[in-house]
This record gives sequence, C-alpha cells and structure tokens, in this order.
Amino acid sequence: MAKANGKPKLAFYWAASCGGCEITVAELGMRLVEVGELVDIVFWPCVMDFKYSDVEALHHDEIDVCFFNGAIRNSESEHIANLLRDKSRLLVAFGSCSHTGGIPALANFYDRESILARAYDTAPSLDDSRGTRPTPSSEVAEGKIDIPVFYEHVKTLAQTVDVDYFMPGCPPVVDQVWNVFQTILTGELPKRGSVIGADGKTNCDVCPRKKGESGLRITEFKRPHEVDLDPDLCFLAQGVICCGPATRAGCGLPCINGNMPCRGCYGPPDDVVDQGAKLISAIGALVDTDEPEKLQEILDTIADPAGLGYRFGLADSILSELKYK
Amino acid sequence: MNHSSKPETFADQVHAIPGGEHLELCYSCGTCVSKCMIQQKVEPEYNPRRLLRLVMMDMREEAFKSPTTWLCSACDLCYSACPQEVHISSVIGAVKQLAVEAGHESPLETVSVDESLCSGCGICVMVCPYEAPHLVEKEIDGEMDRVSEVDTNKCMGCGTCVAACPLGAIARPGVSNKEVRAQIDVPEVDGAPRLVVFVCDWCLRADDDVTLLESYPENVRVIHIPCTGRIDPEMALMALRSGIDGVLVCGCAPGECHYKRGTHVSTCKISLLNRMLDQMSIGDGRVRFVQIGTQDRGRVRNEVDATLKHLAPQKKEAV
Repeated sequence: MAKANGKPKLAFYWAASCGGCEITVAELGMRLVEVGELVDIVFWPCVMDFKYSDVEALHHDEIDVCFFNGAIRNSESEHIANLLRDKSRLLVAFGSCSHTGGIPALANFYDRESILARAYDTAPSLDDSRGTRPTPSSEVAEGKIDIPVFYEHVKTLAQTVDVDYFMPGCPPVVDQVWNVFQTILTGELPKRGSVIGADGKTNCDVCPRKKGESGLRITEFKRPHEVDLDPDLCFLAQGVICCGPATRAGCGLPCINGNMPCRGCYGPPDDVVDQGAKLISAIGALVDTDEPEKLQEILDTIADPAGLGYRFGLADSILSELKYK
Repeated sequence: MNHSSKPETFADQVHAIPGGEHLELCYSCGTCVSKCMIQQKVEPEYNPRRLLRLVMMDMREEAFKSPTTWLCSACDLCYSACPQEVHISSVIGAVKQLAVEAGHESPLETVSVDESLCSGCGICVMVCPYEAPHLVEKEIDGEMDRVSEVDTNKCMGCGTCVAACPLGAIARPGVSNKEVRAQIDVPEVDGAPRLVVFVCDWCLRADDDVTLLESYPENVRVIHIPCTGRIDPEMALMALRSGIDGVLVCGCAPGECHYKRGTHVSTCKISLLNRMLDQMSIGDGRVRFVQIGTQDRGRVRNEVDATLKHLAPQKKEAV
C-alpha cells in the first residue's frame, strides 16, 4: 500500500463503544511505534487531538484505511460513519460493536423511551425524577445547543454505510490486530466484504478440551460461578453454556483457557446466518430427561437465552431485523 | 440332555446379546405389528413378530435380509403394548448387531459429514439418539484434524444431528439445510397469512390427515421432515424474515416419537426460540410446536386453521 507521494493514511474512530478496541491497539506496544513510522495517522480522537473539521477537510478517499469501532447509536455516530466512509478508501468495522452491534446493541431488547425513562427517572442512583429527556436542540442564554439524537435502536456499521472488511472481537485480540495491520500494509487483502483477523471454523475446532460423550444429556444448566469447572472437559458436557460451537475461531481462546466459556464475541462463522438461533439449535438438542414434563423446568435454568446467544450480536440478528423492519 | 454339546443356534446368539434375552417370551400374538408405524407407513413387510419367529426357527439369512431388522427405530410403541413385556426393539437390535457382524449393511438413507466443514465440536455425538456419530482423528487436506464419523449401520436418518450441527457440516439426502431452505418460499395469496408447516413424517396416523396436507392453498407451505428433531430455529427465523407470518411445527406426542428424542429436542428448541422472541417483544405466537398423539385424528387441520386464524389480524395490522 506504499504511496508514491508518502505514507498511507490511517484513521481510527470510536462510536458507541467502551474504549476496549483502542486499548487493544495500544497493546501492540512497541509494534505500534513501528506502525507509526510506516503510516500517517490522520484521525484518532481517543489518542490525539483531532477535530471533525480535520476529517471534513480531507478529499474523498484520502484516508487509505479507517478502523471504525463502536456501534451506531445516535445521529453523531451515523454522521461520522458517513463522513469517514466518504473520506476512506477502505473502511474496516473493527471489533464486535461495529461488526455485529456488541454490548451496546443489547439495548435493542428495549425501546428508546424505556431506556431514557430508566436513565432519567427510575435508576436507583437518582434522588428524584424531573422527567428530563435529552433535547436535540435547545436555546439557552448563551445561544443554541445541539446534541446528537438518540436513536430508537442500535445498528451495526454495515447497516449504516458500506463496509469493506469486518474484524470481529470484543476486543479483537492484539495478535490479530497486528496480523491485519500487516495484511493491509502489504496489500494482500481477501475479497471485499470478508471477515479478516479471524478463522473460518468455530472455536470448538481449536478447543483442546475433551468433548462430551455419546448420549450425554443436560438435565440442568449452570452458570459458571455455580460450578467447580473441570478445566479439561467441554463446558457443555458440564451443563454450562458455551457459545464456542456457534462462534468464529481466531481469538486464541483466552476465555476458554481461563476456564470460562466462550461468550461469542467473534460472531458467527461463515454460513451461519443467525448466531443465537444456531446456538439454541445445538443446546436445545442436548437437553433431555425421562420425564418430559420436566423439560420446561430444565430450560428455565437458562436465565437469559437471547442475552446468551446474542451477547455481542443482537443488532446483526434476525430478531433485530424482525423488530425494527 | 446335555445342552452344552449342541451347536450354538441363531437364537442362542441373539439371546447372548444384552437385550436379546427376552426372545423366547414372544408367543407371536402380533400386537406389536398392530402398533407399529413402520408397517403402516413405509414397509408392509415389516413385522417384528415374524422376525422373532425367524430367529427362533434358526433362519439366520432370512432374518438378516428382513426389513424389520433394519427399519426399527426403537420408538418402543410396541413395548408398552406387548402382553409379554418383550422389549422388542432390543431383540431386533441384537439381530441387527449380528447382521452387521456378518457383513450386512443398513439400507436406510443416512447422514454424511462434510469433513472440510466439521469442527469436531462433538455436538452430533452428544445429541444422536442412536450413538451413531463419534469423533476421530484423521488426516484432512494434509493436516491431522478431529472430525465426526458416522456409523451408517447405527444411523436411522432422523436428522437431529443435521439441525444441531452449528456449521451445517452434516446432511441427509432430502433434508439438508440447502434442500429445506429451498422449500421455505411461500407466495402471497390474496392477503392471507403465509404459513410454513413443518410436519414430521410419523406423527399423522390417519390417511385423511396426510392427504389434507396436500390440499392447502399456496399460502400454506407444508415441508416434510423425518422428525421434529430436524427443526432448526435458524430456519424458522429465516422464514419469518422472508415475510412469512408464522411457523407451525407438528411432531409426535412425548413418548411416541419415532426416533426416541425428536419431540423433546423440538420442545426445547421451540421453547427457547419463543423465549428469545418474547425477550425481544416480538413473540405473539408466530412459532408454534404441537404434539400430535396417536389418537389425535383430524388434529392437524384444527391446528393449521387455528394458527391461520391467529395470524390473520397480525397480517392485517402489518398491511
């Protein structure tokens, strides 16, 4: 990607996100210095002082690669997504939030008003409710104040603008970030629209744990803190839901190696359309008992099926499509 | 008389396999045959009573070639009816084991694994009602990998693993993901609700009910599956996304599933799917699972009608 007239231009942006994606880039450590020498960073509000006007001043496609983390939650994130799309040759959805909605998209279980009512009226930390609601535009003594409009639901980056590549993870693991930087700098990119910085199959493909045996049946689901987990045995075989079977590999299994089940942040693998539905198709088939009337009781031990199946992917799910069509 | 000096008979061999020991209790009343769905639906020659007689009469090859040996799925509807309490499916299983040892192969449509897709997660191993799949280490594309391998003599072709496989690595002719998805296509007919009915091949006992399914107008698409264990919530969501108004799944009553577990599996999957739809506040009864018992003649018509009636006002609202 070396340009005749100088270094490639990179941009980073965060929309509705927690900052973890920025930290994973910072985790590159000395390698970041190396990257810094090879590229020009033209926009990275988390790290350096840039203004939106700096981006507006750029030409169309002037940024070579923009890494965009965070979901689209309000009019500001949508505006910047459009702006960066226009100014960037390659737009990469970086991390779960921009890829599939991430944690912010769990808000899609609720509507806008109930979220605002919780935040402004009923949160336990509030002394009293004054019925305040954010006002997009208001006149005060000093002049007019505009704040972003809070949208009805959270969207992924690709539901807002065209995206060239998707990099999953909450956050993407640092070695994959490094791989992707190198791939982009050498220009050896896969087909446009591909997931990069991850593998094709699922976490089970690389998980070293012993798998469950023939005829294993789950008669009670447990949450990780409720059971002394065997570090060498498949979580599902221990009655603990692991999203590994429906989650793309590539993270290097930090959770599983820490004796915690996969939560699914790398999103669905190729060919899986809906991660949560696919997960319950596998989990549901594992439940059984000789007393069919107890099936419901067993299922009730799953506290939050949709939250488990779509912890990082609710915005990208068919459920969101059906609700917000 | 010294029994030990006699050459071992076929019956002795069956008797020696766990489950085969009830053989001699059978007095050939034929109650088992009257209960059996296979005899009624697929194979008139299927006859447990006769198979057990063949064994007792030392007719080894005839028994091995009998469809009864291969088609029994151990649903055990006959067991509860047998006045002698012979666990018939276990006896048939013992005959099948000897047949496989003698080099015979199952004639059934069974599943196959695409090893390039398989992740070796072992879900299929755990969910199979017949312990047909197991994990093996083998070389694939030059690298050692852990994949699922299916014993086709144990597989009954129910498709429970096809639906449970997260990567779509398992297929059964006729009900692969691709083939089922291709059928989820329901045209708009005069603003009537569009409904997909997945119906298990075994739950409808009466011929009237089976022919009824062919008589529905185009807005009701009936998709035949071997067992409701084949149901995949992802397919149901894809149907709804395509604009279809509802999904009705018809399976057997608990204890009557042809493939032992399908009804339980489907109960769990549809229940979890409905909880997810409820969590998203879009439940409203669009996906239903009904369990049709052996005595429920005509029930399928009522269920389809009730579902269409339930969906009609929602359809109007959407328009």
